[in-house]
Amino acid sequence: MLRRYGLTDLSIKIGRVKFQNPVLVASGTFGYAEEYAQLIDLDRLGGVITKTITLNPREGNPPPRTCETPSGMLNAIGLANVGVSRFVKEKLPFLKKLETKIIVNVAGSTPEEYVKVIKRLNRVKGIHMLEINISCPNVKEGGMHFGATEESAYNITKLIRENTPYPLMVKLSPNVTDITKIALAVQEAGCDAISLINTLVGMAIDSETKKPLLANVTGGLSGPAVKPVALAMVWQLAQKVKVPIVGIGGIMDTKDALEFLLAGASMIQIGTANFVDPRTSIKIIDGLKDYCEENKMKKIKELVGKLKT
Amino acid sequence: MILQQKIPIISCERINPLFFRLRFFYPRIARESNPGNFVHIRINENNFPLLRRAFSIHKLVREKGTFDILFKVVGPGTRLLSQKKPGQELDILGPLGNSFSFPKKSSSEILLVAGGMGVAPLLFLASEFSREKKFDSSKITFLYGVKNKDELLCLRELKNLGLEVLFATEDGTQGFKGMVTQLFLNRMKRSSKPKKVKVFACGPPAMLKSMSQLSRDYDFDCEVSLENHMPCGLGACMGCVVKCGKKNKFEYKRVCQEGPIFNAQEVWLD
Repeated sequence: MLRRYGLTDLSIKIGRVKFQNPVLVASGTFGYAEEYAQLIDLDRLGGVITKTITLNPREGNPPPRTCETPSGMLNAIGLANVGVSRFVKEKLPFLKKLETKIIVNVAGSTPEEYVKVIKRLNRVKGIHMLEINISCPNVKEGGMHFGATEESAYNITKLIRENTPYPLMVKLSPNVTDITKIALAVQEAGCDAISLINTLVGMAIDSETKKPLLANVTGGLSGPAVKPVALAMVWQLAQKVKVPIVGIGGIMDTKDALEFLLAGASMIQIGTANFVDPRTSIKIIDGLKDYCEENKMKKIKELVGKLKT
Repeated sequence: MILQQKIPIISCERINPLFFRLRFFYPRIARESNPGNFVHIRINENNFPLLRRAFSIHKLVREKGTFDILFKVVGPGTRLLSQKKPGQELDILGPLGNSFSFPKKSSSEILLVAGGMGVAPLLFLASEFSREKKFDSSKITFLYGVKNKDELLCLRELKNLGLEVLFATEDGTQGFKGMVTQLFLNRMKRSSKPKKVKVFACGPPAMLKSMSQLSRDYDFDCEVSLENHMPCGLGACMGCVVKCGKKNKFEYKRVCQEGPIFNAQEVWLD
């Protein structure tokens, strides 16, 4: 017990939200958290990020929706979700009871849709932050076009900023020419944090049948295969932006998490690893704690951006 | 209750160069599993293969706390799994998914239709029927189809169940020559009350697609056990969906959560 609740301070603050540790579970890989309740102590997480919520329920893309690739996987789920009304009625009551921070990931096909979802969420209790998805590569309405240029990224973030009191994290796509420009634009528009990377557009083909392995033809690549790309982008952003950076991309263990913190991420998100081992996030929280204690660090914050170049 | 545990392999049986049976020791899973349930296995700790693989529970001995999976080597994941040795431990999630529903009336005529590896969960189901005294084993028939007789598995186990077993081979090397679905249709035509027959089927996608179509065409009660790529196995990722519903009103259901057992009339397979 002493080890777990020892002297090291793992907490991280973004805006007015204080997270007990820097480990979040990434949107789309953790459902609405209830799916993992039998397997891990959800209260120990730094925070839970929900599946992307849209205004109306979405059935998602036709199957097959996923396939494994070397050290990674492709998905084209298509933002299948229950829609904001059912989310509030059926999923939020469970999330509210957790002793961790709840971040709702939001997307829309138009700016008005984003605003409608957010206004619905403004009226409820139990949500600590929003993550704005302007980076889903798999549906036209997934927001990637909002994240594709500085101007559209600025406009959508600004519009959302004006319509909600919640702290905002904006999730960026790596499928752009220069991610630092998009990051500066959303910072300028008033976001409180930037999370990256969403998946890289990829595809896989069965040469025997001459068919793509995903019905959607292309999908989003995630897992250890994308980690070097994600690390580089986190590091690039760390040189340019002032708001906290939340690193995502193929984090499988404590060592990976430390690399992201060194590159400049204040927090991290665990995505694909939740499928491989549902306990990954808990193991990383323990691992970070051990690392801090072994290195006689009082606060994990001391590690952020300490890359020696 | 879903468990995640490191579970020891207690035996690894090489049935032939392509087919293997692993036996695990974990009493809680053995106790809590029902026919149709599956386990999600992490084959390697070094992230290759990255994702878990799902296997239906093929056999279990509750008294001894063991459960088995039966698999064919089809790719690098199953190849690695086939090389595991007794004493090694694997990270297993389970039991997962729903299970076959037992016929309410013990007098029902029951047909189990297995194609290839589909024998794995159906053998478990058949053995539960024979364990439960209320089922009349003379009314249960096990139909089992493969390409050629060398692929027939579990023959001794099937024989020990004391059920009628009919074989179909595509090349005619044993039993009926042709597809198991044709053998099934022939058998249904012999039945006095075809609409009262309860059918359970598991096999390759093309076979299940035709079982599903037949169940609609002839309106019989059939449950199919489906397979799919399952990144999480827990209902979180929405990756393993199958099209379900009635004409003009479809929805996607998760094979890992609402399945893997579905009403055959309800699923639309590609």
